[in-house]
Amino acid sequence: MASPAIDKKGEQAQMENQPAALSAQGTSGQGTDNRAAERPVALAFDNVGMQFPDGTIALENVTLHIRQGEFVSVVGPSGCGKSTLLKIASGLVPQTSGTVSVDRNNLGYTFQDATLLPWRKVLGNVELLMELRGYPAAERRRIAMEQIALVGLSGFENHYPKRLSGGMKMRASLARSLALNPSVFMFDEPFGALDEITRERLNDELISLYVRKGFTGLFITHSIPEAVYMSSKVVVMSRRPGRILKTFDVPFGFPRSPELRYDAAFSALCGEISISLRQAIEG
Amino acid sequence: MTDTTNMSVQLYQPVPLPKPQGPLTRAILRVLPPLVVAGLLILLYAWVRAQLEPHRQFLMPSGYELWANAFSLPQVWAELGSRSLVTISIALSGLAISIPLGMLTGLVMYRYFILERGLLPNIVALQAIPMLAVIPLIQTALGFGFLPKVLIVAKMTFFAIPTTFLLGLKSVDRGALDLFKLQNASWWTTLWKCALPSSAPALFAGLRISASMAVVGAIVSELFFLAGKGGLGQMIINSKIDFKYEQMYAALIASTVLSVSVYLFFSWLGNYLFSEWHESGGKQG
Repeated sequence: MASPAIDKKGEQAQMENQPAALSAQGTSGQGTDNRAAERPVALAFDNVGMQFPDGTIALENVTLHIRQGEFVSVVGPSGCGKSTLLKIASGLVPQTSGTVSVDRNNLGYTFQDATLLPWRKVLGNVELLMELRGYPAAERRRIAMEQIALVGLSGFENHYPKRLSGGMKMRASLARSLALNPSVFMFDEPFGALDEITRERLNDELISLYVRKGFTGLFITHSIPEAVYMSSKVVVMSRRPGRILKTFDVPFGFPRSPELRYDAAFSALCGEISISLRQAIEG
Repeated sequence: MTDTTNMSVQLYQPVPLPKPQGPLTRAILRVLPPLVVAGLLILLYAWVRAQLEPHRQFLMPSGYELWANAFSLPQVWAELGSRSLVTISIALSGLAISIPLGMLTGLVMYRYFILERGLLPNIVALQAIPMLAVIPLIQTALGFGFLPKVLIVAKMTFFAIPTTFLLGLKSVDRGALDLFKLQNASWWTTLWKCALPSSAPALFAGLRISASMAVVGAIVSELFFLAGKGGLGQMIINSKIDFKYEQMYAALIASTVLSVSVYLFFSWLGNYLFSEWHESGGKQG
């Protein structure tokens, strides 16, 4: 009776350990992008402020322009309004002052949890957003299978979420967003709940998805190395009320290889950001 | 330096895993405890009966009397069968009113917070009215037919449905709702594809409670309506009047079996629908 369960676990473990379907070996390779400055702005916050009904000011005068194809990470103390920034950009919560400009019809959004619907299998979950957008069934199925393969979940289409590991749930969640082929992709601490090995693997997979699809990314995280590894730009926010304290350009090109994590320049940049974040926390 | 003079090092032995239980052992461990408890209850019954004065022992018929005067007689079985049908049809008709009405009430309370404010305290108050006190009023208003009994069952089984359904609807994962909102999904789409499936296990917990109440409600209602050919409740009263206490016990046992069956059906249905995906479901891992 116990054996199928064990087999399943074994399968999952194997799944996590096999080389990622999309390691950061990369395809075209954007390299350091000199033309980034000429690209149009895909997501702009101008003097955005947010005050909650209880009077708390979550954000104050946030101005941040993200150009098409940029990948920007935001780090900051807990409760500084990082997630609120995403909710405002996506329209889940309207800001109380300032303006936001973005194409909301073409947004990807990944939550802190995978937020898979537990009564749908992986395939049904990946199809969900297309279903809500009214894609025809056959096209939905085709695109969903592609995305599932892309995130390395082939063979798990008919598994219910409760039988997946945390990393696999997050992959399914990514596939669900990717299915709409978003031009702006927002990530709200997507890998925060995962162990470090799974997290680094998913970082690599996300980078190769980014290189391949060329979306604009806004990534919220608590981890400085993750922010630096993933991004072309890292933004440090102050503690509440959240303001932008400092912006760091990340000079490394895409695609990135895991060795970058052991590079001296990488560590130096992490150190600089860490000092700045410490100042943010101490006020 | 750590002071080691007072250290008392002890040796801890490994604990081997217990031997896995065979299927037979597991089956016995599952069936035996309820049987043992049931046996103890029967012993208690026999003991209490033995304490009664002989002329009062008819109140608690022995196993032999039950067999001889009730369960060995085909006409008693026939009566139990036909009366069970009456009782179960009252119970199910009551549920057929209370379940849709309860779900609708839960739904409108979920949709309009102002209705939750308005309805919920009154639903609680409705539940607090002692049913037996209302039955005479229902008789006066609606007579002695099928409908008043059905309404009694509906009232008794109503409460658990809107309350558990509302709880389920309000516990839908925020992130899942945001997901739908980001796609500009309509309220109905969100309800149908997200809130309803998500709240179904909670609703079924309520349905199980209501289902087990339904047969009880049907029998209680019949105790007050003796005209015409009634169900098990009427049989209980009639056997008392005719001094056939063995048949009263037979009707009691039949109504218990009926009640448990309805409960088991809804449990099975809930398990069948949700076990694959819900955390409470049987298949793990």
